[in-house]
Amino acid sequence: MSTLFSNLTFAAGALDAQRTGLDVVGQNIANANTPGYARRVVDLAPVGPDSPGGAGRGVDVTDIRALRDRLLERRLQQEVPAGQRDAAMASALSVVESSLGSGGATIDASLDRLFNAFADLAASPASASTRQSVQLQAESLASAFRDMAGRFEDARHNADSQIRSTADDINGLTARIVELNRAISASPSAEASLGLEDEQNQLVRSLAELTDITVLDRSNGGVDISTGNGAALVVGETAYEMTTASQPPSGYCALRVSGQDVTASITSGKLGGLLAVRDVNIPGYQDQLDTLAYTLADQVNTLHASGYDQTGAAGGEFFSFSTTLTGTSGAAAALVVASDVASDTRKIAAAGTTDAGDNQVARSLAALRDSRVLDGGTGTLADGWAALVYSVGRHTKDADDAKTSREAVVNQIDALRDQVSGVSLDEEAMSLLKFQRAYEANAKFFQAIDQAIQTLLQTMS
Amino acid sequence: MRATFNSQFRDAQVSLEAASERLVEYQTQVASGKRVNKASDDPSAASAAVKQRAELAGIEQYQRTADSVTARLTVIDTALSDIVDKLTAAQTAVVSAQGSGKTTAQRDAAARQIESVRAALVDDFNLSFNGTYVFAGSASTTPPFPVDGTGAISGYNGTTTEVEVDVSDESSVTVGLDGSAIAQGSAASDVFAVLTDLASAARSGDAAALSTGFADLQDAFSRATAAQGRVGVGMNTVEGQQSRMTQLKVAGAAQLSRLEDADLSKAITGMSHADAAYQAAMGAIGAATKRSLMDYIG
Repeated sequence: MSTLFSNLTFAAGALDAQRTGLDVVGQNIANANTPGYARRVVDLAPVGPDSPGGAGRGVDVTDIRALRDRLLERRLQQEVPAGQRDAAMASALSVVESSLGSGGATIDASLDRLFNAFADLAASPASASTRQSVQLQAESLASAFRDMAGRFEDARHNADSQIRSTADDINGLTARIVELNRAISASPSAEASLGLEDEQNQLVRSLAELTDITVLDRSNGGVDISTGNGAALVVGETAYEMTTASQPPSGYCALRVSGQDVTASITSGKLGGLLAVRDVNIPGYQDQLDTLAYTLADQVNTLHASGYDQTGAAGGEFFSFSTTLTGTSGAAAALVVASDVASDTRKIAAAGTTDAGDNQVARSLAALRDSRVLDGGTGTLADGWAALVYSVGRHTKDADDAKTSREAVVNQIDALRDQVSGVSLDEEAMSLLKFQRAYEANAKFFQAIDQAIQTLLQTMS
Repeated sequence: MRATFNSQFRDAQVSLEAASERLVEYQTQVASGKRVNKASDDPSAASAAVKQRAELAGIEQYQRTADSVTARLTVIDTALSDIVDKLTAAQTAVVSAQGSGKTTAQRDAAARQIESVRAALVDDFNLSFNGTYVFAGSASTTPPFPVDGTGAISGYNGTTTEVEVDVSDESSVTVGLDGSAIAQGSAASDVFAVLTDLASAARSGDAAALSTGFADLQDAFSRATAAQGRVGVGMNTVEGQQSRMTQLKVAGAAQLSRLEDADLSKAITGMSHADAAYQAAMGAIGAATKRSLMDYIG
């Protein structure tokens, strides 16, 4: 049997419970925009009577819970890295793409102008002005190749420095996750650690944007995190730093965790995208450019050497390389006009005979424009450039398209997560109304009991 | 489905971004007139355009070469016409010196006439156009028939290799002729020696030498007209190739335009559609977020 006084006590408890409900609504509304925040709900339970014949002793707040779907949150951690990889690739490749210049304005234009100059030379092999034009156009083509090689190398450097700063960002995030692990395990109650878990979730997501990770939940609420191939980044309250070490001869960095080289195993996230651009995409373009430069120099030199210059001497080199090459590697960056030709236009061998007016070699050089000298005799030099333009364009477009579709997937999952964890203002308004009205009613009840006690007391006086 | 505060904005943001991206895309097309502004807009078209431009550059170069070749062939043709005229004049002079009734003065006049033809022919054969001796074969930097102080010609100084220039990917035209083939051919002596001999034969009234020389002149005449015929064929070739190149250029430019250029009417329509979508997306955000239950609880 409850007494009037115990009624007063549990009415006060009920007021508290409704106020807690209002608290939770307030917290939800306040965090409607907080990333990673999961909607809270308050769990209320009736308190049973302490003796037979009683109605019960009011209400009790049993729990404040955050509504999360662990599965969806893990899905996000899996989808986010791939999207970020494509985004990083799209942005790094668009820089490479812009270095190709607009159509008909870079190497292709210089190639055309050199062949035009060769054709003019064939028409007037003895003319000093056509010889000068050949010399100038050759210089301009060689410098276009060197510029392009420089831009590719710059883009690689750029990707490398972004990789280094991303590794720093990763270390910053793992350090904070470790702090949170520590705070969560030291947390006095589940309610107290809810906010920490929100933050933990958000940090893990940020980390997943940077690299592909595997996340394991610890029983105390913390997380263990390792890279894609299993190198631990976070274990309990210890973070393992990702370090960068410059590798000879390029000076580009390798990534290490606990002394283990993990560079090759990182395939996703921003880091994975940047590594792919630095180590796969751009080297591929450099290869194509080098092959083009080397083939051009080789073909022109062979023809040039078969002829005779204006002094009647056998033709020497037309193009040469400023460094010693291994294969074709570095050909574009080292392409120069041979010093003899650069210093004396008479050294241009236009003639197939020792006669000054002969033009047979100049004709062959001009015909090189349409000769299939690339890819085992299937492509012209212009085709080689076209293939490079295609590769860069295709890769950029693919990365961009993939980014868009990944973004859509992530948005979908985010929306699903919101279904569970997101704050709906209408819903909160409803709860607000609910708890407000309940609070008012409880206050009325409290007043009624209070009046009943006063009535009793008055009869006694 | 719960419409949450965040998801409302996220969806709106995504559609707003997509709409504004499309708008910018069309705007770029309309402003630049090009559909392919960077390789990733359409990689296949961008790389095909590179090849097409290289092709066009080659065609344009052939056109320029053809123009200069035409100029050179016209000069050569004029020189050969002149040579033919001079040879005819020499033959007339020889005829005027022939016959038993001719006086010394008449024969002298004929001899002088023949000598002047010879001098003019030397000039014709040593014709240079833009610094190139056109009858010297590939030794085109020096006169093919150098004259020494006494007016004698030591012989052909050029080469028998002729100089050809490509006027298309499949045909070439001779622009540096083998002068000896015209001046001498398979004859025992060149036309200058023939004329020198004729002049002295006219002075001395050597009828036999005059008639041999006349026949030699006839041969030289045939060689010069044959050369003129070859030059004519060359000019026809150039002309034919020029019209072919013009056609190829028109077709190539059209192809390039198809690859790269924006269909303006399409782009402009697209732009106004994208603009409408953009405005609608913005309107939707404003409308959707205006109302909330919060407005109704007092």
